Amino acid sequence: MSLAQVFKEHPNRRYIEFGGKGGLGKTTFSAATAYWLAKGGYKVLVFSVDPQASLSDIFERDIFGQGAVEIMPNLFAQEIDADRHIKDYQDEIRQKIIDMYGFDEIPEEIENYIQAAAAEPAMEESAIFDAVVDIVVGGEYDYYIYDLVPLGHALYYLSMASVYDEWIGKITSLREEMQEYAQVAALLERDKESEEDQILAELQDIKQRINTSSSILTDREKTAFFFVVTPEEMIILDTLKAAKLFAKYQVPISGYIVNRVIPPELADQEIPEYLQHRIEMQKTYLAQIDETFGEEVLTQVPEFERDITGLEMIGKVADALFGGEA
Amino acid sequence: MSEEEKQESFLKRLGRSTKDFLYGMAGHDMTRFALKTRGSMEHLFILITMGDLLGIPILPPYYSLRLLPYVVPQISTWKRRMLRERDLTDALA
Repeated sequence: MSLAQVFKEHPNRRYIEFGGKGGLGKTTFSAATAYWLAKGGYKVLVFSVDPQASLSDIFERDIFGQGAVEIMPNLFAQEIDADRHIKDYQDEIRQKIIDMYGFDEIPEEIENYIQAAAAEPAMEESAIFDAVVDIVVGGEYDYYIYDLVPLGHALYYLSMASVYDEWIGKITSLREEMQEYAQVAALLERDKESEEDQILAELQDIKQRINTSSSILTDREKTAFFFVVTPEEMIILDTLKAAKLFAKYQVPISGYIVNRVIPPELADQEIPEYLQHRIEMQKTYLAQIDETFGEEVLTQVPEFERDITGLEMIGKVADALFGGEA
Repeated sequence: MSEEEKQESFLKRLGRSTKDFLYGMAGHDMTRFALKTRGSMEHLFILITMGDLLGIPILPPYYSLRLLPYVVPQISTWKRRMLRERDLTDALA
């Protein structure tokens, strides 16, 4: 089955993710897929959470931290600036405290806490996670293409949803129990109505956001996850390991794409021995890839003669990826 | 005020007093207990979400911040309670 066919046969899969080790072409394929879909008339957002994101480089435009930027008709790209997201979030909290209690300024102790919280190691990841939740539940686009960070890190993000879910679940039930006691007291004192617990409402809102986003990203009907591999031994072994780990988090793996294949036609030409060896080596590993992943290998993309930057080159990759079908 | 009205207001007062009396006998303690439990849980809750304020690292802080505005008034009493020294008389409280 080709990649274009996978898209055609599963029109409900609107969340597309490319995963793999660093430098294999995740960003290139994300951009090319976005390009292909946008040409097909869909409104597409390709976004990245990597602080070293390369969408700016591939589209040759600085889009870091600028929200969704229109690259061409129907194609939008976004690079999340985690630091900025954290700063805005802190300001929002400060403003809320000032509004709620009519303070002129935030009490020192509280301000210290707000600042210290931002320095926590998990803060950046959490902020990114939250920004992704915002994007995913927004529902403004036909397709969302998630240019993932390299493997190990991606797993961390995926597991974050379940960690949060558990944490929120526990404190929500504690909060609900507290609410029961407050209601008993109110009933005994014959107050007409107990105050609505705003914290509980806030917790339920957070819980719902996390659940919505994690259910989307692990739903086989809505999400497609493609692994990018290259014909090299280490990459094949690592991908196998990663696939097992991803399966644990219910990531719906939809297929494998082989990148950087040296065009075999070259072998018939006058080429140096060095290149001949590389072609031979790739042949062995391509056979191994076929054997290991079988029918799940969707397509092979050749090594190009130059860097993939700019829409023209992205278009060429899209042709290679989807076989020129629109 | 007519004789009838006087009697009615007396009955009303009597009724209210009886209600308060009964509440004091039976309900008050239960209310106090419920509120006290609620208070303890409130402090436990803040500990779980804002433990960082006492130097206890609690993860993940991102969503804790969202709850911070609601617990601002309780923070000082909570800290006092968490950090105060305890002795035998605590058991009587």
